[in-house]
Amino acid sequence: MTDTVPLAEPSLPVVPAPARAEGRGRGIVGVLLRSPGFLVGALILLFWTTCALFAPSFVPYDPYADDLLNTLVPPSVEHWFGTDQLGRDVFSRVLVGARDILTIAPLATIVGTVAGTAIGLITGYFGGWVDAVIGRLLEVMLSLPLIIVALLVLVALGPSTPTVVVVVGLVFAPLVARTVRAAVLTERHLDYVAAAAVRGEGAFYIMVAEILPNILPPIIVEATVRLGYAIFTIASLSFLGFGVQPPSPDWGLSIAENYGVLVGGYWWTVVFDTIATASLIVGVNLVAESLQRALAE
Amino acid sequence: MPKLFKSLNQWREGRGGLENEVIDQFLLGHLDRRAFLRHGSRVGLSMAVMAGVLQATGFAPIGRAQAQGKPGGTIRLAQITPSGAIEPVSVADQGGLLPLQQAGDFLVMDGPDLVLRPMLATSWKPNADGSVWTFTLRSGVKFHDGRTMTADDVVASIDRLADPANGSNALSAFKGVLSKGGTTKVDDLTVRFTLDAPNGNFPYYVSSDNYNAIILPADYKGDFEKTFNGTGPFKMVSYTPKVGASFVRNPDYWAGPALVEKLELSFYADQQPQVLALLGGQIDLIQQVVVQGSQSLFDNPAVKILRLKSNAHRQIHMKNTGPFADKRVRQAMALTLDRPAIVKGLFRGMADLGNDSPFAPVFPSTDTSVPQRVKDIPKAKELMAAAGMSSGFEVTLTTMQLQELPAIASLIRNAAAEIGVKVTLKLEDVGAYYGDAVPGKSDWLDSQFGITDYGHRGTPNVFLAAPLLSTGTWNSAEFKNPEYDKLVASYIAALDPAAQKAQAGAIQKLLLDETPVIFPYFYDYMTATSATLQGVEGTAMGQMFLHKAGFA
Repeated sequence: MTDTVPLAEPSLPVVPAPARAEGRGRGIVGVLLRSPGFLVGALILLFWTTCALFAPSFVPYDPYADDLLNTLVPPSVEHWFGTDQLGRDVFSRVLVGARDILTIAPLATIVGTVAGTAIGLITGYFGGWVDAVIGRLLEVMLSLPLIIVALLVLVALGPSTPTVVVVVGLVFAPLVARTVRAAVLTERHLDYVAAAAVRGEGAFYIMVAEILPNILPPIIVEATVRLGYAIFTIASLSFLGFGVQPPSPDWGLSIAENYGVLVGGYWWTVVFDTIATASLIVGVNLVAESLQRALAE
Repeated sequence: MPKLFKSLNQWREGRGGLENEVIDQFLLGHLDRRAFLRHGSRVGLSMAVMAGVLQATGFAPIGRAQAQGKPGGTIRLAQITPSGAIEPVSVADQGGLLPLQQAGDFLVMDGPDLVLRPMLATSWKPNADGSVWTFTLRSGVKFHDGRTMTADDVVASIDRLADPANGSNALSAFKGVLSKGGTTKVDDLTVRFTLDAPNGNFPYYVSSDNYNAIILPADYKGDFEKTFNGTGPFKMVSYTPKVGASFVRNPDYWAGPALVEKLELSFYADQQPQVLALLGGQIDLIQQVVVQGSQSLFDNPAVKILRLKSNAHRQIHMKNTGPFADKRVRQAMALTLDRPAIVKGLFRGMADLGNDSPFAPVFPSTDTSVPQRVKDIPKAKELMAAAGMSSGFEVTLTTMQLQELPAIASLIRNAAAEIGVKVTLKLEDVGAYYGDAVPGKSDWLDSQFGITDYGHRGTPNVFLAAPLLSTGTWNSAEFKNPEYDKLVASYIAALDPAAQKAQAGAIQKLLLDETPVIFPYFYDYMTATSATLQGVEGTAMGQMFLHKAGFA
């Protein structure tokens, strides 16, 4: 287990890597389209993505425009979701509020997936002391509450959108790395890897060109699961004041700005943003779960 | 009429020139009843004399018709968590000043109506130019440890605060007013304050307004949290930092024992749990509620809201650099705000309009004839064009995550957009905003455009000095104007009400023209109690005087 390059029989012929990912594509799509969970999840995602892209052009009010003579108006024909403490239209803000979360969360997921995949490939492929050292470091990171780690880093660096993307991404990287490492450990002893080594291919080539295509399914599933968590984490950070900055209609930020008036009975200032956040997370999770099942079949 | 003159002469006899000047100003109609009481108490007119003058002239007598409850019971008070130790020299926040004031007393109490009342001092008098003030102390006052309070304790307590070596929070008030060594003992019950410069408002500096100035034993060692040894109405039984404190009434209190037997303070980090606890009957009193988040209390018959006019406010500073170096740009920014809408929308009308100077309507010296600045976008655009800024500019507005500050920041962003100014918001937690409170290490002092909170004071002196004088230590706007500095010195030295008002008017007009800082509003201070609790008397500083409070 301490070898850095797997040993292989010298006489082993060139063995092509199994083309599992390519061959199963059409089947997976078929399974997904027959899954009610996937369809509901995809519909929710499609709705919020449309809002994120086009809502500013079709919402009834400017989501940033205040109207101090109409603050905290309950839901009505004029304001379907009521108005907030500054008289801003909650309906318009909820729809436009999808934009920030759907920009930051996928970017953070990409950062986390890329970093985690790289770490997982290295630790799983090389094994030995590389795996031991990096593995312990990852365990230390995973033992800390993720939101606290993210908060500490954001306090040190100061909140800004790029910082949030990088911090949330890096906080998720160990989780992705753990999944990828497990998948690599399964693959590294297979014949096609040994054959590539015998051919004299370098470690980088073997990891990226041989192993990576074959462990894409678990990575994709992990990424979709992480996207759900990223949405939740970023909403939490915004709620705590370390995420998106005002006057953005971001959902987490809006809940933070208005939860103080909840005791006064002004439920509409918080409830719709909460439902929006929950629905997006549910949508992502439905898609992730369906994807996982389809890939497992 | 001869009877009236006879009666008035009776009250004028034996009064000094300054005291009679205040009486004359009242008789001439230059001061209303409220202003007469404030100015009278400031120059040392006793309550008996002021009551006599009011009665002789047919005005309503002095009297706070505070209902008092039955003896016994426990008041459970919710307050914001103190940010640091309960240490009289260093306390600098609303959370810390309340426990301090339950166990300790001031020489003078600045009441909810800004009328000064005797506490540990029974009377005070200035010399002719207001540079020396002499206070007579109450006799027979005992500390909680049984020792009797004397002039030595007062001299030590005030000197401790005025000594720069102690780094006292009160230095922000005492700087340029009272130095170490300026407080001297005349006899066991008389103390003399020799000031750095004449000051017509000095009694406020040793009143509850200067919340650090409770009188402690002369041999105080800096260990207040161990014993809470003061002369106050409640004696500490237990204190747990960040959690709360318990007190029992002081049977030897100089004003008589408190009505209730016990007082329990619970510390909270936020307003919402306090509101819920009051509604749920777990507490009887909330030190402060702000409109945002406490709406459910306002129409609830089980809750009483005690509302005090205050001069607590927010200062929006514009540093004298970049686009803000031109006063026309600063004026234009100030003209974008719809202040009546802010007061109505954000505060439900429970605030006064600000007119870009610290002179709040609540101060008796405020010149109310100075025209109120109103929203005027065409004029603002004209000013921007005249300053060569018709296409606008970009600026970052820095402030804190505190009460309505994020909301007002968003409003400023929208308002500035109307004249082409693109404002980016930067919101920080309170600690990050204030930083080390020195230039170079504080966003409060370093930011070009920022919003800072200022609590209530009995006089505008600190507001006029620290954030606006050329030498001011809180001068975020880097405003340096020799004419302003001279006017402030004259205002602070002025003793009689007419002179104070004249100087105030000149300062108001100058600040309105220069606009280094926007003062958008002065919000009311509100306390919430259960309907059965009576006799609570608070100040807009956050103090709660409870020795006459009880349950119905």
